[in-house]
Amino acid sequence: MKPALTSRDWFPKVAAATLPGAGLTLGVIGVLGCVSHGDVTPRDASGQFLMWLAALIWVVLLGTCFLFRSGRQAWLSLVAANIIVWSAYGLTRMLLS
Amino acid sequence: MKIRGDIVQTYRDVHSWVGIISALFLFVAFYAGAISMLEQPLQDWLSPAVHLPAPVPLARTPELLARIFADYPEARENYTIVLADDAAARGRVIWSPSRGQARGPVPVRAAGLDADGALVTSKPATSQTARFIDVLHQQVGLPLPHETAMIVMGVVALLYAIALISGVIAYLPSLAKTLFAVRIDGGARKRWLDFHNLLGIFSLPFHIVMALTSVVFAFHEQIFSLEHMLISPTRPAGLHQGPRPMPMPHRERPSPTPVLPPMAILEALTRQAPGFVPETLNYTRMHDRMTLRVTGHDDRYSLRGPTEGFANLDPSTGRIISADYMPGHQPAAFAILTTFFALHFGSFGGVWVRWGYVVLGFGGAFLFYTGNRLWIVSRRRRERRSGLMRDTRGTRFLEALTSGCTLGCIAGISAIFCASPYLTSGGEYGSVSMLYYSVFAIFVTSGFILPPPVAHRLHLAIAGIITLGIPVALAIAPQTSLLSPIGGSLTLCTVLIGFTLLFASRRPFRATLPPQG
Repeated sequence: MKPALTSRDWFPKVAAATLPGAGLTLGVIGVLGCVSHGDVTPRDASGQFLMWLAALIWVVLLGTCFLFRSGRQAWLSLVAANIIVWSAYGLTRMLLS
Repeated sequence: MKIRGDIVQTYRDVHSWVGIISALFLFVAFYAGAISMLEQPLQDWLSPAVHLPAPVPLARTPELLARIFADYPEARENYTIVLADDAAARGRVIWSPSRGQARGPVPVRAAGLDADGALVTSKPATSQTARFIDVLHQQVGLPLPHETAMIVMGVVALLYAIALISGVIAYLPSLAKTLFAVRIDGGARKRWLDFHNLLGIFSLPFHIVMALTSVVFAFHEQIFSLEHMLISPTRPAGLHQGPRPMPMPHRERPSPTPVLPPMAILEALTRQAPGFVPETLNYTRMHDRMTLRVTGHDDRYSLRGPTEGFANLDPSTGRIISADYMPGHQPAAFAILTTFFALHFGSFGGVWVRWGYVVLGFGGAFLFYTGNRLWIVSRRRRERRSGLMRDTRGTRFLEALTSGCTLGCIAGISAIFCASPYLTSGGEYGSVSMLYYSVFAIFVTSGFILPPPVAHRLHLAIAGIITLGIPVALAIAPQTSLLSPIGGSLTLCTVLIGFTLLFASRRPFRATLPPQG
């Protein structure tokens, strides 16, 4: 039986969603931007869509981070997700250049 | 739908705490935001009259322009032709001696022709009262430099988003059974809870839109520059917003190409975009070329800005160069993006949606107020149950702050409306700001000095009286008339809000507390 969720360890969870969460968001935007367009400027519609998407992803991460079993798990999961997404970003840039 | 009990409990805690941190900022943002829906008509109404002859017909504008350029050569750099006759009463042609988009009021000059065809100019004074309320809305009530305030606003917007997500997870599944119940006589806690739930559920889509758009408004510049670094790192970050760069002319011209007269521009515009109602033509010189931006609206489509969309035209042919932000002519992607903005500004669907947004804005403010009240009453109940006979410092602090900030905001805004017609230029920014923050500070301070029930009733009564004073002050003032659409609307709102506040101050606040012990 999994231990019950509490709001006591909110700080490490929120910190995880704020810092690695922001990194993850940017990584996703980076990958999508490279794959979809290759040259995004803010004046462009796709650049603006990515900006809205970034806000949405970050907000959802901040809102759902309390569902992680512990602060430690939040950090581990989000850092792992960062590594995956940023590797994907590096790979995409390498392939596209 | 069943959600595990521990998840619900976790999100209840999260909802209370993020709610309590952000609610007072959000109250100011929503109360001021509701009023800022009427910013333009309020500004026109509160501004002193301009002493200019009746606007020249559009066909004679070239003659007016020639005279302006002869006397004020700097006007060639950037000038605006106002198209609608009623708006043009404040100047058919206006220009600003200083270029650029500085924040705050930019001094402008307006001109017309008298009966003999001589040039008459004026420096129209614009009331900054409505503008101040808009800034109050954007900066969640904080008197900070704009950049700093936007960061704080962004954090508040993020908390607001978390409060929405947690509120939905924690309360939505169990709400169906008590949806329409407002238990007026079930004790203060149940009453505030029912009000809070009812408002929360029925304005949820509105709040989701507001939370997400506010996060974007706060952080878009940072996100754009990071995006730019990630996706095309070799080029310097360009400025966003505004139109795409227009194609350069094939050969450099020593002097600007001649521009078409306004009538010809309007003809070309009607041919290309029937249904678009142009409001202003703005000409700017850029590197020996004139650029022309036409602002306007089309009631069938949503608008990118609070009151208008725009298109860029070739001033020498009247051809539309960029319609990215032109209602009804946007490419699909831009039209979708415009919808997000329009959903924040309420700039779609005409006057009924605008008034709907006023109501939703006031409703939102009340939602945050009920949230705080609920927190205070629940906490007090818990404290009494655990044997404490007096409020803890936290409860007392929040009670004083809630009463002082919310009613201080209402009273402060009402006070600047009352004073506006009697201040120089219908209220300069500095004096309006000073008056608002003085009233606000008095309310917050008195909230901490007086015993909470006394302070609360006193705040309600004074805020109510000042609010009811608005129609009186504006009726007495010579330049504002209540017998106009905006005057009538303002009177209606102030009477409703004022009497509600007075009514609420009537009965002792503590009488509705659950029995102690």
